[in-house]
This record gives sequence, C-alpha cells and structure tokens, in this order.
Amino acid sequence: MRKFILKRLVQVVVILFLILTILFVLFRLAPGDPVSRLVDPNLTPEEADHLIEQMGLKEPIWTQYLMYLKNIGSGEFGYSFHYGEPVAKIIWQRLPNTLMLFTTAVILAALVGISWGKLAAWKKGKLTDNLLTIASLVTHTLFLPWLALLLVWVFAYHLGWCPITGMITDEVWLDPACGFFTKFIDVVHHMVLPLATLFLIHFGSYLLVMRSSMLETLKEDYILLARAKGLSERAIRNQHAAPNAWLPVVTSVGLSLAFSINGGALTETVFSWPGIGRELVMAVSQNDYPLAQASFLLVAAVVLLSNLVVDVLYAYLDPRIRY
Amino acid sequence: MAASVAEKVRRALLGATAALLCLGLSAGPGLALSDDIIRVGVLEEPKSLNLWLANDTWSQRVVDLIYEPLYVHSPKGPELVPWLAAGQPQLDAANLTYTVKLRPAKWSDGSELTAADVVFTGQLIQNFQIPLQSSKWKFIKKVEALDKHTVRYWLTRPKAIFLTRTLLTPIVQKKQWEPVAKAAQGKQKPLQVLLRFKVDKPVGTGPFMLASWKKGVFVYLQANPHFFGRQQTIAGYTLGPYIKGMILKVFGTADAAVLALRKGEIDYYWNSIQPGYIQQIKGDPNIKLFVNKKSALYFLGFNLRKAPFNDVNFRRAVATLVSKEFIIKRILQGEAEVMHSLIPPGNEFYYNDQVPRYGNGLSWNDRVKAAYAILKKAGYTWQVPPVSASGEVVKGQGIRLPGGQPMAEFTILTPPADYDPHRAMSGQMIQEWLRAMGIPALSRPMAFGAMVQRIKDQRNFDCFVLGYAKLSLDPGYLRAFFHSAMDRPRGYNMSGYRNPDFDRVADESENAMDPAVRQKLIHKMQAMIMQEVPYVPLYNPLVVEGVRKDRFTGWVSELGGVGNEWSFCLIKRAK
Repeated sequence: MRKFILKRLVQVVVILFLILTILFVLFRLAPGDPVSRLVDPNLTPEEADHLIEQMGLKEPIWTQYLMYLKNIGSGEFGYSFHYGEPVAKIIWQRLPNTLMLFTTAVILAALVGISWGKLAAWKKGKLTDNLLTIASLVTHTLFLPWLALLLVWVFAYHLGWCPITGMITDEVWLDPACGFFTKFIDVVHHMVLPLATLFLIHFGSYLLVMRSSMLETLKEDYILLARAKGLSERAIRNQHAAPNAWLPVVTSVGLSLAFSINGGALTETVFSWPGIGRELVMAVSQNDYPLAQASFLLVAAVVLLSNLVVDVLYAYLDPRIRY
Repeated sequence: MAASVAEKVRRALLGATAALLCLGLSAGPGLALSDDIIRVGVLEEPKSLNLWLANDTWSQRVVDLIYEPLYVHSPKGPELVPWLAAGQPQLDAANLTYTVKLRPAKWSDGSELTAADVVFTGQLIQNFQIPLQSSKWKFIKKVEALDKHTVRYWLTRPKAIFLTRTLLTPIVQKKQWEPVAKAAQGKQKPLQVLLRFKVDKPVGTGPFMLASWKKGVFVYLQANPHFFGRQQTIAGYTLGPYIKGMILKVFGTADAAVLALRKGEIDYYWNSIQPGYIQQIKGDPNIKLFVNKKSALYFLGFNLRKAPFNDVNFRRAVATLVSKEFIIKRILQGEAEVMHSLIPPGNEFYYNDQVPRYGNGLSWNDRVKAAYAILKKAGYTWQVPPVSASGEVVKGQGIRLPGGQPMAEFTILTPPADYDPHRAMSGQMIQEWLRAMGIPALSRPMAFGAMVQRIKDQRNFDCFVLGYAKLSLDPGYLRAFFHSAMDRPRGYNMSGYRNPDFDRVADESENAMDPAVRQKLIHKMQAMIMQEVPYVPLYNPLVVEGVRKDRFTGWVSELGGVGNEWSFCLIKRAK
C-alpha cells in the first residue's frame, strides 16, 4: 500500500507540473490583457504601456514563466493585478467560506441521498421508490439560479425566515457585545437558504447512484445466503447490502468534495456568498492571471489528491481490493 | 459492526445539522445598529483602498468618500467649487502660474492638511507616472508650497484640463505615503511597489473614514470627526455628514439588492435599477425613485480604414437607418434618452444640439427612402433596390459598391448579452435594419476583453457597438476619440478618423483656458464629427435609483444620480 501511495504521489506531482504549465500558456493565449478592460479615455496609450510593463507582462515569455514558477514555489502565487495583494492571501480569505458552505452541502446531500437511495432500492417499484426517484430527478434537473431566487423570494422576502443574501449580519459583527456563539448562529442563519438550494440540487444524484448500486448488490448470492440464515430485513439491508453498495457513491462524494473547493460561482453570486467561485470567475473575466492560475491550480491539486484518497478508501471499504 | 458505526455517525451528523439549521432559523435579525447609519447596497466590494490602484467603479466610490481634491464640480453643473481650496485659483498670466490657498482642514488622523501634502501628491504622480493621473500632470513644470497653506502650480503651456481635471486630483497624506514612495524608488518596478502598497487604514480628508471591512461582505465607513466641511456652507449647502456612518453591503445580483431594498434591509441601492423592476417599485410607498441623466455614451463605431466605412455617404446612410427611438423604447424600455451628438445632453455646458440629426423622427419607410437616396447618389447599386420604381419599400438585395464590386459581408462586434444585453440587442437590431437595405451586416457578440483588444489594439474589425458608462464632465475625450495622434495601438481613436482641421480645433480646445472659448471649440468639434459620423451616437441611459424614504431624506441629484458625496454629506434621518 505504501508503495502504491508513493507512486501515486509522484504521478500527482508530474500531472500538477503539466497542469500549471498548461494554465500559464492558456492564459497568455487568451485574448485581451489586464489593461484592455480599462476602457477609460483618460488612460493614455503611454500610461497603458507603462502599466503593462510594471505588471511584468512585457518581459520575455520564458522570464514570465520562471517568475510564475518562483511565485508558486514561494507559496504566495504572485500578486493579483486588481487587488494588489498576494494571491495566496486572497484565496485563504475566501476558501474557508466556500468550504464551509459547499462541504456541508455535499456531506448533507450525500448522507440523505445514501439513506434514501438505500430505502428506494429496498422498496423497489413501490410508492416510496417512485416518489423518491421522481423527486430526485426533478430537483437534480432544476436550474440552480432559478431555484435559489425562488427560495429567496419565498422564504426570505415573503416569509422573512432568513436574510435575503450574504454570509453575516453587519449589526452582529460590528457589535462588540456579540460573542462567538451569536456570530456562529448568525452564519448558520445565513447558510440555511444556500444550503437548502445546494442540497436540493445534489441529493438526487447520490440517491440515484446509491439506489442503482444497491439494486445490483441485492442480486448477489451473499444476500440470498443472509436471508437463508434468517437474518432480519433491517440487518440484511444495513449490514450486508448497503456497505457493499457504497463504492460508487464514495467515488462520487469524493469528487464532489474535491470540486467543492472551487465553489459554485452561480450559488455564490445569487446568495452573495464571499467564496472562491465568484473570485475565480472575476479573475478570468478580468485577465487577472496570477489569481486565476492559482485558483485553477488549487482545484487541480485537490481533485488529484482526492482521487488518491478515494482509491485508498476503496481498499478499506472493500477488503478484496489490494494494491 | 462497521456498518452500525457508520449508521450511528450518519444519524449523529444528520441530527447535528438539523439542530443547527433550527437554531439558525430561530436566530433573529440581529441587534439594531444605530438608526443614523445608512445601509447601502452595492454589487461589488472595492478591490483596493489604495487610491492609485482603485480604478474600478466600486473601489472609486469608496475611495472618493475618503480622499478629497482641492476642487469639486457643483452638483448643478461643471463649475468648480472650492473644496479643500479656500477660493478660486489665482492666475498669473505672465508667468503662467496658478496659486491656490488651502482652507483649514485636517486628516482623519487629526493632523493638519498642509501645502506640503498637495506638493507631495503632485510629485508622487509625476515621479511614478501613475496611470489615469499622470496625463493630467504632464504639463505641470513645478508645484511648490509658498507657505503652509498656499500652493503654486507652474504650467509649461496653457492647458484646459488643468482647471477641470488636474485641480480635481485627490490629495494624499505625505506622512502616510512618503515612506512607501521612498521604499519604491530604488526598486526595478517602482510603480508596481506603489500599487501593491496595502492601505489598511487610509488617511484622508473626506467626510468618511474606514472603520471596518469584512472582505466580500460589507465595508463600514464612519463619519470623519475631523472633516473640514462640517457646518460649512459650500455651493449653497450646509454640510454634515448628519449620519454616523454608512455600511456598503455587497449583493451578488441586482435581483437580491432590489429585494433587500423593498424589504428594508438596505436604505439605498447604489446602482441604476433595471427597467423590469421599476413598475413594481413605483407602487411601494416606502421607496422613492430618482431619475437622473448620466454622463455616458453608447454608440456604433466604424473602421474608417476600410471600405465601405471609409465612405462618409455610407456612414450617413447607416446613421439614417438606425432608429434610436426604437432601441430606447423596445430595448431599454424607455429608460434612456436619444443621443444626437457625442457629448451627453446632460453635460449642458458643452453639449451642442445644433448637429445633424440623421433620420430623426422618420418612419421606417422614410428612413429607407432617405438612406437609399444617399447611397444611390453616391453610386451604390442593387440587384433589387430597397425602393422600387413605384416608390414602394421592399427588401433590398445584392448591394454593390460605387466601383461595381459586391459589398462583402461585414461584422458588427458587440459585447455578449450577459455582459450588456442592451448593446448586444442593439447590434442585432442594427444588423436587421441594414439587411433590410440589402447591406450584408452580421452582428457578433464577443467576450468584452477580446473585443476591446481587437478594436483598440489590433484594429482588426469592421463595426462595433461600445459604450462609456461614466464620462468625465470635461469633454477632453472628444480629442482622444478622434485626433489623428490617437490613432495608434491602445489609442482611443479606434475608428481611425483623420482630419487635419479637426486636429487643429481639438488642439486649440485643449489649450483654451477660457471656458467660453473652449465651449465654442467643443461645439465646433461636435459639429465636424457629426458631419462625418465616424461614430453614430445611440443612447444615453437614465439612472433610476431607489431610496427608502422612511429612512433618510435630503438626497442631492446630479448628473449620474444621487449616489454622490453631496448626498452623503447632506442626508438626514427621516422624521
């Protein structure tokens, strides 16, 4: 196992190096530059050229590439052209917000999806199965911004149960008398609607994967044997069928957790959630190369490492798998 | 065994999440902050509070409330109002110098504003060639402090923008910026060091100062206790601020911001409200709508370097065919005004309304007939002319250039609909109008950055629909748009318009210090341009803003809306 992990780690490093090089080339090939969006007749051509030069974009491409590698090596990832701050700092400011929302949503959707998927498979063809399957298909195919705005309109605007958008209430965070618990509850209060949106969009996919995997498992001989042994239906379902049906779901959840790092620009935009997804979109649209490159690189690194973790987890979940 | 542990973990996690969500839902709206603090909805947070880096609209709005210039424009027009200055600048024509006296003012840290700060700011801009600033300081030979409260500017030559732009440069504190400038001077890329300076506590002379900034969520600005304008009457207004502060709350979408305004979560939405919401908001008794003109320009531009756009008759025919009224009524739902010249009508001092108005007020058939007459006279021919021998308007086909060659298909570049639906739709409409005449136009949306690069840097285009959302009150941009010297990569003469007569008048206008003389020259420039139509001005959107009238009153309207420094210095709690 140790040899396998080491081998995979080496692969991860090589792939990451390729990705960071491709990212560098792609952004240089993309049309426009960080100054081309400054459409202001007061910006003279000389000033624009001076700005480009000071950003280091007039250096030979190899010099720029070496500087890029050096910045990654330093852990700062360079400076954002638009924020004028180290990219690492910007990412670390936004990343916890994204992880908090999206990881919670993935875990919640996975827990419920697995449970209900298990139940749907167990009650195959019955009303419960039909209802759960239809609900999954409907919610999974909804257009996220539409659902998000609908929830905001009903639960925030009309019923007033939740704030319209945002992550915190200024009154709470500016009041020195408010302690950690009040602030924590305030964040949870703001999380309700985005979490509900993400949950509704995602739980269906886990449910359907779990249901399908469980239906395959239920055809296995060991399930027949368990029944022949006289085990209870509950024990057969939870202790014999479900654990063997988890493998495809684990892959799906692992990848979803990895991709949660780049958040969802749409969700973050509609709910004014200050996460990394919105930043990434803005960085790309504004040709803020250092910020965009670092954000994509981070996503790539986490996806590669998650794949490795999922592979290792497989061996734990299924003793038949050995590397 | 493993399964039962997993089951327990799953149940525990679900239970904990449900409990937390219940707690979250039960949480109230939070503690009431002072009623004297205004909550303002914005669509983006500032990128930086470093004055020299803050080039985007949202950063500038915050920075403008913190840093102040010597003079500002009056809300009623372009006249200069002394702000940090004690009176109007005194000209010494013989030496070409201007002397400005400062009024007693303090920085937000309590220290005194002196002439040394003003001199330092000018030198900083010149030494570092700060973008968007240095061009308005190029002709300043020297700036010196005559005493603690008097500054003298030495000009190399007369320059109109000295009064309208140079004196409006925000002043920074020498104490805060001198160490940064010194540290940057020795570096290979000094401007880069200056732009990367992180301003955690900006020290300014403005009515507000930064109190707290939760990144991505809100910016809290407190009233500056040292603001010089308190209880001072300037331009007829007795200034406050009468509020304790303002919280700028970030909303990801206009939909959410408008809902927050209607719900009372914010008191003012600092952006123009989309036409689709206006009818709903009009019925809300707690919201007051302000409609103001904007200093903006949206236009159709041609590439005069190639046929058929190098033919003034073709451009005039296109200008005649374009129905600006239709664009405003159908695409902008009436929330805009027609533009006939390139200076917005709201800029009354410089706007020339005596320019040719192509196709103004004509019906579609009359437009086609007028355009057909122009083109036919210039030698264009058709396989099927758009106006039949009996004078009936039909669909034109197979247009040929005066030399007899068929006109090749050309492209009208527009930004994509998700960036600006109005410009994208306008491009489509223009395409249809031209095609009805048999002119092979194709509207093509393109990513904004790529489009600008193609037009401005590569000059590889046919036509385009672009816009400037915020033009300065000083009309110097007319020279930048059409002077031959600006027809170069990254220059703003994107059309490639070259006219020595225009260049001469533009140069004269640039050097005219007398506003009345300059006004005449600017009028002349507009007339010349509209004769030759390298750009077809289309529309100028109106700014429709909503404020909670149950919360604050005393808003000041100016060109661009009520979101301005005058308003924030004057609004008071509603009784």
